[in-house]
Amino acid sequence: AAFGLYFPRKEYLENVYLDQPAGTPLLRIHALRDSHGEVAHFHLCQNLVISRARSHENHWFQIREKTGLLYLSKSLDRDDFNMLSVGNWMPLSKVMLYVFLSSHPFQEKECDSATRTTVFLSLINATAPACSSLTARQLCFTEMDLSFHIKENKPPGTFHQLQLPSVHHLCQNLSITYKLLAAEGMPFRYNENTTGVSVTQRLDREERERYELIAKCTVREGFREMQVEVPFLVNVLDEDDSPPFLPNGTDTADAVVEFNRKEGTVLATLTVYDADTTPIYPLESSRKKYTGTIITDDPWISETFRVEHIFNEIHFSPNGSQVRGTQHEYKLVLNKSISVTEHRFFQLDVLVNDTEFHGPERSVMLHFNVSILPVSIQFPNMTYQFTVNRNAERFAQIGKICIENCMKFRGVNITYKLQSPNVSCYAVSILQGREDKYGSLYVNDSSVLRRPECKEIQYTVQAADKQSRKHTKTLLTIVLEGTLLKKEEDCPDSCAVSKHRAECEECGGLGVLTGRCQWRQGSGKGITTNYSTCTPSIKTCPDGTCDVIESKDPSVCPQDCTSVNIIGGHGKGIGNLGIKSGHGICYCFPRQNCYCEKDDIKEQLCDDVCKTVI
Amino acid sequence: LAGPPSPPGQDPHGWRVPVDCVRANELCAAEPSCSSRYRTLRQCLAGRDRNTMLANKECQAALEVLQESPLYDCHCKRGMKKELQCLQIYWSIHLGLTEGEEFYEASPYEPVTSRLSDIFRLASIFSGMDPTTNSKSNHCLDAAKACNLNDNCKRLRSGYISTCSKEISATEHCSRRKCHKALRQFFDRVPSEYTYRLLFCSCKDQACAERRRQTIVPSCSYEDKEKPNCLDLRNVCRTDHLCRSRLADFHTNCQASFQSLTSCPGDNYQACLGSYAGLIAGFDMTPNYVDASTTSITISPWCSCKGSGNMEEECEKFLRDFTENPCLRNAIQAFGNGTDVNLSP
Repeated sequence: AAFGLYFPRKEYLENVYLDQPAGTPLLRIHALRDSHGEVAHFHLCQNLVISRARSHENHWFQIREKTGLLYLSKSLDRDDFNMLSVGNWMPLSKVMLYVFLSSHPFQEKECDSATRTTVFLSLINATAPACSSLTARQLCFTEMDLSFHIKENKPPGTFHQLQLPSVHHLCQNLSITYKLLAAEGMPFRYNENTTGVSVTQRLDREERERYELIAKCTVREGFREMQVEVPFLVNVLDEDDSPPFLPNGTDTADAVVEFNRKEGTVLATLTVYDADTTPIYPLESSRKKYTGTIITDDPWISETFRVEHIFNEIHFSPNGSQVRGTQHEYKLVLNKSISVTEHRFFQLDVLVNDTEFHGPERSVMLHFNVSILPVSIQFPNMTYQFTVNRNAERFAQIGKICIENCMKFRGVNITYKLQSPNVSCYAVSILQGREDKYGSLYVNDSSVLRRPECKEIQYTVQAADKQSRKHTKTLLTIVLEGTLLKKEEDCPDSCAVSKHRAECEECGGLGVLTGRCQWRQGSGKGITTNYSTCTPSIKTCPDGTCDVIESKDPSVCPQDCTSVNIIGGHGKGIGNLGIKSGHGICYCFPRQNCYCEKDDIKEQLCDDVCKTVI
Repeated sequence: LAGPPSPPGQDPHGWRVPVDCVRANELCAAEPSCSSRYRTLRQCLAGRDRNTMLANKECQAALEVLQESPLYDCHCKRGMKKELQCLQIYWSIHLGLTEGEEFYEASPYEPVTSRLSDIFRLASIFSGMDPTTNSKSNHCLDAAKACNLNDNCKRLRSGYISTCSKEISATEHCSRRKCHKALRQFFDRVPSEYTYRLLFCSCKDQACAERRRQTIVPSCSYEDKEKPNCLDLRNVCRTDHLCRSRLADFHTNCQASFQSLTSCPGDNYQACLGSYAGLIAGFDMTPNYVDASTTSITISPWCSCKGSGNMEEECEKFLRDFTENPCLRNAIQAFGNGTDVNLSP
């Protein structure tokens, strides 16, 4: 490739002092090759970036095209410093320049090539310090970490020079020597004459992706000797040089469609591994590089199914050291809801393609054995019978009607209907929730229950699937029992209004099953889900969900359904509805406030005088 | 001796005094040559990168003229009126002039000149005691009490707490967007002597540290179902002017430096803590304590470096500015201990 040369680091850093003479070397930049025989040419963009927005023409810095040595071509005087520092309101003034790289000599002095590195020069507002005032750390290394990246599968070469050209130039009477401490067998070599560090062989990221070495520097000045050690890190950059493969050779999975027929259902998942890394951003471009396509001529199949691709980073351990790889998951997903009558068996093939891998094994075929089973819409082999107390009030919940496996269904819309033969005793109705799984029977007209001529009421229940128009019927018998109780006077409509056990249990209210409200005695301390309250039926209220029947009238179960203010210690339920937890006794005035409070205070009411004192 | 009135945006010595970008925009609009160049430059920048732009003579001329205008050095103030408008003007010039791939960006906000000690002084007035004494108490609890005694702090704190803990539905735990907005109001409108005490209180036991971790209601404002990649998160943040500015401010003021005693730029703890708090106030880049440990303080945004590919080094460098940042850690500890750097005048 023409642009195969690259920089082993993204940024370089060096200090520049006032009045340093022209010709002072600043730093050395290296390039690594993509193929043998490439020759690196360095070029400086003649544009200094000062602070973030300002720029200035470069009069001071130049680079040697062949060696990559950046040097001062003109000394920076006080005026230059002031000019370059304007607008820089950071404690330290920095200028930035770009160095470009090409395998040919630069024709034009252009500033746009893909391969570039950034050089930061810190402008120190003082003349160059005396060598004796510099610490060993400053003499040996710059502030920037010694961290490099080397592409895998590329020819060896020199990528760094430990010696700092500026310090070497400034402090010629100091002896500064370096060593590179590395474990045996590491593919790096240090050349004492040039202080250059080179990589000695092609690297393979899938074998090892990080090398941690130590650069050691010794400064000698007369009898004094100082040593500094800093980490020297090399990261190996990845390229797509591994084909996809199947874990344990598994390329087949069963995909069964039965009760769950809803669009978006994941039917089966197959996994493909790749030793290469896959960046998760930009997500779409990584998805495009690793494709999964359904192979089919059948328009029904391509409309009904889709493949979803997700991928994760996983670790492989090829020889003790961990390297990153990728796990690709291909999920077979329903693209639309499937009718209950559909009945098919077939094999669905998905072609997975690692598009950037250049080799014969760039793709694998995945197989899904798809079984679409029909489901029957039928009631369990029986008729329904429910007993209802004659004292039940409107919105009392009698029971549930459910076709076979109704709770397992997803993506199937079943509607339940009652058909009554003897219209005059039509006391109950049916409602269904949002999920359309079952129907709830409730008392719709409590006056019918009280009529002596209505004893046993027979209904036909019909369950129908909207999409396929399949339907089924069964018989439902409602038996009325119990004797009519005398209605208490002055009782509120809603059980939830009662604050004490006695008044609760002697009154009825909307939703009661036997004519009387039920008291739930809480046992918990503090704010608890098990608070004391008066309810039409402990089974359904409060149970934490505002069901379809409770939501018909706010008086039935405000404990599950209220959206008004709750006064006192409490926690709200899901979607801000109802009282999930409360302190002491919780009671509600429908359409007004709810209150949760401890019943410690024995006074029945607090009159105006009492309020004023508080 | 009063000199002649100096032109706007300049002090009597001829140095430009930084003005805010809203004001700079007004000054520029009043001057025909400036406003026409500004219009030209904005057209140049629309959809082009720096290098293409510099190649164009007309664009370059506009740039050179604008370098002398107050727009060039303009800044914004945190919590100022029209902050968003100010940041928009700032980035309209600066965005196209940088490559957009810079690791650190300079802050558009004015430098913070006040010191931590100013806050301590105020803090001890309202608490009635020296924060360094009474070592057995739970400082985070004290901070909550102090907030509740101040009407403004109490109102905005209960405001964000109720917003952030309001359950929307069984699947949606809370409204993250509203929670972030409420948090932003709290940190922008409540004085820092209250907010910092809540955020950076020092702890000796786990209950205290857990209270500190819970300060921003992390279940809503911080945690999410999945941890995105940190570089991806940074890209998302940089598409938003406010988030981008606050992140740049954090990098400017909390970037660990070898050249100072405290590891903070200019030894300014207050500036670092301020830009940390500014980053919390909303956005997905919100940082928090990762656990309720009392011995070590680890801060992180909700992201990881998984799936970084060849950018792993860069990703880890980005994350380390939160998780292993000596400046940030020293600043938090110094606040908790009630100590600031003693600067010789």
